[in-house]
Amino acid sequence: MQNKTTKNVLLSGASKGLGLCICGKLLKSGYRVYAISRTLSGHLRELGEAHKGRLFFKEVDLSDPIGAANAVFKGDFIPRAFPLDAFVSNAAQSYEDIVSNIDEAKLEGMFKVNVFSPMLLTKYAIRNMLLNRRPGSIVHISSICAHTGYKGLSMYAATKGAIESFSIGTAREWGRRGIRSNTVSPGFMEIGMATSLSDEDADKIRRRNSLKKAADPESVADTVAFLISDGASSITGQNVCVDCGSR
Amino acid sequence: MLKELLDIINSIRKNSGKQPLENISETTNLREDLGFDSFDLAELEVNIEDRFGIDVFEKDIPISVSDILKKLGR
Repeated sequence: MQNKTTKNVLLSGASKGLGLCICGKLLKSGYRVYAISRTLSGHLRELGEAHKGRLFFKEVDLSDPIGAANAVFKGDFIPRAFPLDAFVSNAAQSYEDIVSNIDEAKLEGMFKVNVFSPMLLTKYAIRNMLLNRRPGSIVHISSICAHTGYKGLSMYAATKGAIESFSIGTAREWGRRGIRSNTVSPGFMEIGMATSLSDEDADKIRRRNSLKKAADPESVADTVAFLISDGASSITGQNVCVDCGSR
Repeated sequence: MLKELLDIINSIRKNSGKQPLENISETTNLREDLGFDSFDLAELEVNIEDRFGIDVFEKDIPISVSDILKKLGR
């Protein structure tokens, strides 16, 4: 028997890095998490064992936006009448190069994962919230590079800029139905995609921020958990930089 | 079928503070007669899909109750 007061959250990119950290935080906070990712990692499996009955997983490939939306919302993973309280869009891929080397196929692939799939998943999350009359909350993970610019990350930053604009519009459009949308922009973290940076580049980025350190994934996850909580019921259309003061 | 649609429509009207309707007909215009805006229509869409399993707004937006009935094959 499910506890009806437990809130249901859809989380993308839950298997590793920041997504895994957010997943752990949400489970500890008492949420029921519907996690999607390309593969089920050992760490995510362990989280599921530690929080039995509150973590559900489905393998979903966000490089196919329509297939991904159908897999999540058109089957028995999140049926229409199953009330969704929040969608945390964390999954992303990074294609790094300087602008003069842009490869159209890689660019299109990254936009599918980072922009088109989150948009389509948002479409069906909102439809679910409308049907079930839930004042849901949507949080997209952006990146500080959408605001400051980094060499080699122009195309990646463009996907994050797109999703931040989309979130602002979503907030304006759906606020009348109690649905909120916000973005969180983490600074450089020593996990996930940032691990591909050289020590020298990572050090350079750290030296550029006020706190002279990497952003803590736990701090980012806490911010996400706050934004989907009732404590953030008056916050929408915002971007929160969790970046150690990078701007 | 009309009764089921009327129930959905009245549930949406109630949600936006409007009085319930006693009846609708095939010629009922969704915007002009029901006073529905884009957001009410979105709510109508997801409720019809939930009840009948068909997204009647998928290709174009129905204007009247008759358009919905046609898409539902009735």
